[in-house]
Amino acid sequence: MVATERPTLVSPARPAGAPALAFAGVTKEYAATTILSGVDLAVATGAFTVIYGPPASGKSVLMRLLMGLEDPSAGRITLRGQDVTALPAASRNIGYVPQSFALYPHLSVHDNIAYPLTLARVPDREGEPIVRHAAEMLRISDLLQKRPDQLSGGQKQRVAIARGLAKQTDIFVFDDPLAGLDFKLREQLVEDLRDLQQEWRAAFLYTTSDAIEALTLADQLAVLDGGRVIEHGPPARLYADPRHQRSMALVGFPPANFLPGRLERRGGALWCHTPLFTFPTDLPPDGGIGDAATVGFRPEAIIFDGPADDGPLDEGQRPSLRFAGRIALREDLGGEEIVYLEADGASVTGVTRHHDRRDEGDGQVAAAIRPEDLLLFLPDSGERIGGGLASEAAAPVAAASNGRSAG
Amino acid sequence: MAEIRVERLRKTFGPVVALDDVDFSFPESRVTCLLGPSGCGKTTLMRIVAGLERPTAGEVYFGERRVTGLPPRKREIGMVFQYPVVYKGIDVQRNIELPLLAEKLAPAERKRRVDEVIELLGLGPSAKLDVSRLDNGTRQKVAVAREVARQPRIILFDEPITNVDAAAKLQLKRAFKELTRRLNQTIVYVTHDQTEAMTLADQIALMRDGQIVQCDTPRVLYNRPADRFGGWFLGNPGMDFVDATLGAVAGGDLALASPIFPSPVPVSGVADGAPAALTVGVRPERIRIHPAPAPGAVPARVRRTSIQIGGQYLVGLEVDGLADQPLKAKVDPRVGASLAAGDQVWVECSLDSVSLFDPSGRRSPAELGTPAAAGRV
Repeated sequence: MVATERPTLVSPARPAGAPALAFAGVTKEYAATTILSGVDLAVATGAFTVIYGPPASGKSVLMRLLMGLEDPSAGRITLRGQDVTALPAASRNIGYVPQSFALYPHLSVHDNIAYPLTLARVPDREGEPIVRHAAEMLRISDLLQKRPDQLSGGQKQRVAIARGLAKQTDIFVFDDPLAGLDFKLREQLVEDLRDLQQEWRAAFLYTTSDAIEALTLADQLAVLDGGRVIEHGPPARLYADPRHQRSMALVGFPPANFLPGRLERRGGALWCHTPLFTFPTDLPPDGGIGDAATVGFRPEAIIFDGPADDGPLDEGQRPSLRFAGRIALREDLGGEEIVYLEADGASVTGVTRHHDRRDEGDGQVAAAIRPEDLLLFLPDSGERIGGGLASEAAAPVAAASNGRSAG
Repeated sequence: MAEIRVERLRKTFGPVVALDDVDFSFPESRVTCLLGPSGCGKTTLMRIVAGLERPTAGEVYFGERRVTGLPPRKREIGMVFQYPVVYKGIDVQRNIELPLLAEKLAPAERKRRVDEVIELLGLGPSAKLDVSRLDNGTRQKVAVAREVARQPRIILFDEPITNVDAAAKLQLKRAFKELTRRLNQTIVYVTHDQTEAMTLADQIALMRDGQIVQCDTPRVLYNRPADRFGGWFLGNPGMDFVDATLGAVAGGDLALASPIFPSPVPVSGVADGAPAALTVGVRPERIRIHPAPAPGAVPARVRRTSIQIGGQYLVGLEVDGLADQPLKAKVDPRVGASLAAGDQVWVECSLDSVSLFDPSGRRSPAELGTPAAAGRV
């Protein structure tokens, strides 16, 4: 990271604690198609907020509404405490890296980056340090005199990002700026953008459809799906404690597993049957929930029996829910392995940290899972209703510690 | 013999050197992946092997047979491209059968081969469908099936699953694994995707700037990169690199000092007159984080944490004395969830997984540990 003083930038005064910007009931319709239906979201000052959603979930449209490039069909947009819904784009003062950027082919890299400052009639004396700084942050200082056609794809992307940053403002919008780039280029740019935001303490609003990119960048993560924000919060909270099946499905890689469940009252508790296992739930036995639920669990919740280098699990630590499957494919990511398992009546995905063990072929494997790692959702609405209950057989284990070190 | 050998292969496009005197053998009956970033020369190398491109200099041999000047159709090879090449307007079965009609095969044998690849690639349900009605992933399976059914000794794959959706990618990877387990062809597979290469290859030839920098089995390539580039390119994220200095300790033995070691670590295998400046390379998942001082660990501060693949945490660290070289560790979910920016921690890098690089970036023959401990894989 290049640690330099940021050149003078305007930071309009406003009440402490007020959000940098907010969407309230923002809806966008094109003829008969509803793209966004009532988006509510407040973006904190000085934080890195990621709007994450599958392709075509309306992320770009939402950014264009924020920029003032299109008008919402309904709802309000507030910027720095002021309603800007009717304000023209030129008056909103936001740094912007659009999804499909175009550099001006006849201008040098320097002049491309300086373009927003030139538009805003910032004198060269003030603008020049901003251009230099943006170029330095994006590691393209040595390219300033080149023309776009002399650049590689990754370099062009850096110029576009630098142009978005060359703006005297405290709010920056990045609309999926790394889409289509090589994964190694993305890795470095993600790191640079995170450093940049931390140094500037400006509000960064960033959209992506890549789960790992979203988790890596976000202080605050908003999941956009079906035209609305279905969940919003710190990424660790959304990951561990999703309130909606769709956010569990979307946030995380490899994607979470879901199984159909059937609820049944047994003794004083409500149990859940799935094609792979049956477990006690924390649902009230007379909750009036109906008899169907969707069971969700993360790939890393599946624990494989076998020669992991930690040695075999203690019988006491062994998760209580067992199932067997046939390995359909192991994908080697270098540091970890994704295991695609075909079990009786269901296909599930597991992931393990790589132990360099020999590939034992694609044979049968025994797997297990803890009931407390299972989440329950309503099949229709996707709303989270509860989870699995640590079974009694596994309960006394909590006290035992055989020194298995984590990490 | 279906070994493929290239000798001093050179290809230039104007001032650009796409292949820089490459000597290489693709072993018979094995899957060799050509892996590297865009512009490294992997596609050019494959196209020259296929006969789609003429080398500026150098030779190509299939076994003992020199094929450098032969057009593609005389090379008796199969090819699968990035975009599926299929005959629209006819069904899957017919697509696979068509090229076989040109060969002198008994009808029973022809049918056997078609049925075999249809089963192998899971194309049974769509065998009678017109390929125009299939999605891109299934079409690509048809393209693979057609090439395999011809049973050439050599099949070339050029980024065959780059343009299909995630579900079809997975199916194609499975089918490819099954295919290579049961059949015996020499396969060259070009990809920029490290996971694809690590998953499918018997061996990976890693390319950069028109040269093959290393060729090894996937795990050896990952664990013991021949240069810094391999350490950086493979892995998500790639290796951490930290400066280190060789020096003599009491008794005259050599030891390596670095801010990530609490005290100098004995080194063996150092060549006479080797430079004293080395770089320590270590995979992020091989760095452990302790909440309290621990043997072998040095103090550090947490810069940030984020959730990664499989719920692991990527932890950005600033080791004391290494402010300008931020370190990344990839740790178990439970460890990661307990950490926050600003926390004081102790980090330990697993010594048996360290790679050492000399100032040119090449792997140093030196190894951490005493000679007795060295020599492991």
